[in-house]
Amino acid sequence: MSSAALTHDSNAHPSAPPAVAKFGMIMFLLSEGMLFAGLLGGYFVLRWSEVGFPWQTGHAWPRGEGVPALPVFLTSINTIFLVASSFTFHFAEAAVAKRKSGLAWLFVTIVLGSIFVGVQCYEWWHLHHEGLWFNTGGVYGSSFFVITGFHGLHVVIGVLLIVWCFLRQLFTKCFTPEYHPALANVALYWHFVDVVWLFVLTLLYYV
Amino acid sequence: MSAITAEAPADTSHQPHDHNDHHEVGFVQKYLWTYDHKMIGLQYLWTALAFLFIGGALALGVRWQLGFPGAQIPIIGQLLPSTVAVDGSIIPGGYNMLVTMHATVMVFFVVMPLLIGAFGNYLIPLQIGAGDMAFPLLNELSYWLYVLSGVILVAAFFVPGGAPGTGWTAYAPLSSVAAYNGTPMGQSLWCIALFVNGLSSIAGATNYITTIVNMRAPGMTMFRMTLPVWSLFITAILLVLAVPVLSAAAAMLFADLNMGTSFFSPAGGGQPLLWQHLFWFFGHPEVYIMILPAMGLTSEILAVFSRKPIFGYKAMVYAMIAIGFLGFIVWGHHMFVSGMNLTLSAAFSVSTMIIAVPSAIKTFNWMGTIWRGSIEFTTAMCFALAFVSMFVIGGLSGIFMASTPVDLFVHHTYFIVAHFHYVLFGGSIFSIYAAIYFWFPKMFGKMLNETLGKWHFFATLIFFNLTFFPMHNLGLGGMMRRIADPTVYEHLRQLQPLNVLCTIGAMGLGFSTFLFIWNVVISLRNGKKAPENPWHANTLEWTIPSPPGHGNFAKTPTVYHGPYEYSVPGMDKDYLPQNEPAPEGARLESH
Repeated sequence: MSSAALTHDSNAHPSAPPAVAKFGMIMFLLSEGMLFAGLLGGYFVLRWSEVGFPWQTGHAWPRGEGVPALPVFLTSINTIFLVASSFTFHFAEAAVAKRKSGLAWLFVTIVLGSIFVGVQCYEWWHLHHEGLWFNTGGVYGSSFFVITGFHGLHVVIGVLLIVWCFLRQLFTKCFTPEYHPALANVALYWHFVDVVWLFVLTLLYYV
Repeated sequence: MSAITAEAPADTSHQPHDHNDHHEVGFVQKYLWTYDHKMIGLQYLWTALAFLFIGGALALGVRWQLGFPGAQIPIIGQLLPSTVAVDGSIIPGGYNMLVTMHATVMVFFVVMPLLIGAFGNYLIPLQIGAGDMAFPLLNELSYWLYVLSGVILVAAFFVPGGAPGTGWTAYAPLSSVAAYNGTPMGQSLWCIALFVNGLSSIAGATNYITTIVNMRAPGMTMFRMTLPVWSLFITAILLVLAVPVLSAAAAMLFADLNMGTSFFSPAGGGQPLLWQHLFWFFGHPEVYIMILPAMGLTSEILAVFSRKPIFGYKAMVYAMIAIGFLGFIVWGHHMFVSGMNLTLSAAFSVSTMIIAVPSAIKTFNWMGTIWRGSIEFTTAMCFALAFVSMFVIGGLSGIFMASTPVDLFVHHTYFIVAHFHYVLFGGSIFSIYAAIYFWFPKMFGKMLNETLGKWHFFATLIFFNLTFFPMHNLGLGGMMRRIADPTVYEHLRQLQPLNVLCTIGAMGLGFSTFLFIWNVVISLRNGKKAPENPWHANTLEWTIPSPPGHGNFAKTPTVYHGPYEYSVPGMDKDYLPQNEPAPEGARLESH
């Protein structure tokens, strides 16, 4: 597979050359960005027309008594894990570029990503316990669960993709400095999921 | 160099010397799970034509009810599900389902797959001189996701409650509250179908952009690309940016229906208007997604059969880019009657009217292209010319509606229905027919029958206008959209003869399609064998055998000039293929 893909004859290759694959991945992430822009934009509009902007008087979010607050501190800690995982993935790529296996860094990335998913699951369970769910708390609950749900799904898919990379590298040592498009594209995806999280965190938790 | 390129196609017809040529592949690998962009294009073509029949049948149901309200449908009336018809007569709820499913099927399962799936897949690699798409596996996945989404949508007819009946726009809160629409399952399937269809579109669009940017043959600069490829390139960018927003909205609607969220429900702090904003943020670029490729395909055909270069090739490209960009900032013109801020309405009015400028540039350039050309009235050319004139009618009525005060009067009337059928059927479908007649020889190696083609063309043109032109009058006469029985309204009874006329036209239009099917069937069986380049066209797909083998080009072609060098001064023959260098003394249009 890899040897054929390295030929740049457009008539013959069964899979795209690495640079082309990367370009395609960026196009795909552009559309993913629009998905989250749609979700976050909708949330922004709903919340703004419900309670106004944070700097306006009388702004209180969530509105109403007894609506549980989001665990901001826990999530901030959790964010550190996710951001760190982007760095560790980058170290894995750097290791591969130096003709090392990069397996250790990939493993650390998987662990960090899994911790993030685990803490998010705990958070969902906790909020559900406190009485906040898709169908309670109005727009507050709806937006929180749908947006973090979509993002969480992306993180889970990302972790699975990294596990796939890890196993491929473990058993076939297929990533070389010259040719590792799968690793490079999963890395792009993972960084993207990370950046989206910063927007989600800011809009849902901090503002 | 020219000697080599002239001989290369002859080589391939004897013995394709391609590395990954699949000899003797099985049925599944050849027709069902293939990585060949041409076969994937044909998969899209056949599937979408099947959906064209479903969508057309639904439309005939709609027209039957409007022409003869409450009358039993002959023959098939008794077979319809009880949610649609009782005792052979369409019930009001069933009418809503027919309207909704007709529009959804036609937009997402006919026009988009035909223009983008079929012609996009077939033409892009051939016209840029590539062996295949950048991601063949993704390409095939995109097709099967499309099929899956179609199955999910059609399944909605057979679930409890029946198909969704909220229109293809699915306005909240009608669509988002089960108690209002009565079809929560059908509506949920609609959401899932559009989500899956969106994945398919994004997969395809990603592939097209990547292929066009990265895989052009040597010498094929961006401004040597054909207008179909340019139009599909811009369309793919629109798809990547617009479709995910619909996916987000569909997910929210699904959650409102099934998980008790309140995005569109005022009781929980949500806003029904948010649905309209999200939907039309997608919906208006979608309009251009469905017309830009049609414009591109038409431009190609007009130039070939006028034996003249495209008038203002670069202006055509810039006009399409302008239309694509403006398409993202006009969505509010669908919402003038929604209670939206009037200042915002004024802004959307202005941005909408600005779109008339690039559209007019294209129209005048088409006229400039055929002006004083030596026109060959092939069936493809007839359909292309009809495209231009029908598009002008639809485009002009569009400018009426861009103005808020006029729109307040005609909104939600049949004037709108007339308008978008003139651009969607008179525009997109006519160009699809033109493109099928034009590229059929390349796709199947057989010529379509021209006599039958002319019959098909005139029947389609006449019955199309008979069906949709009276709708302008109906709309201005006050007939509302989405009513199951116009005769219950006092002021509409005098218009009923026009409704009957439309219905007769629609039946004729349905009938005309069988001429097309018949033509395809007999031409595939006994049609004249198509030569390599039956139309004496310049683009790269005509330099290889019909149909082309796996891998397309025996040798990657080199491109020397633009695609529209027809009747070049200083040359003997009146066309100059892109892979042939210009002879001494020829004065080319392009560089």
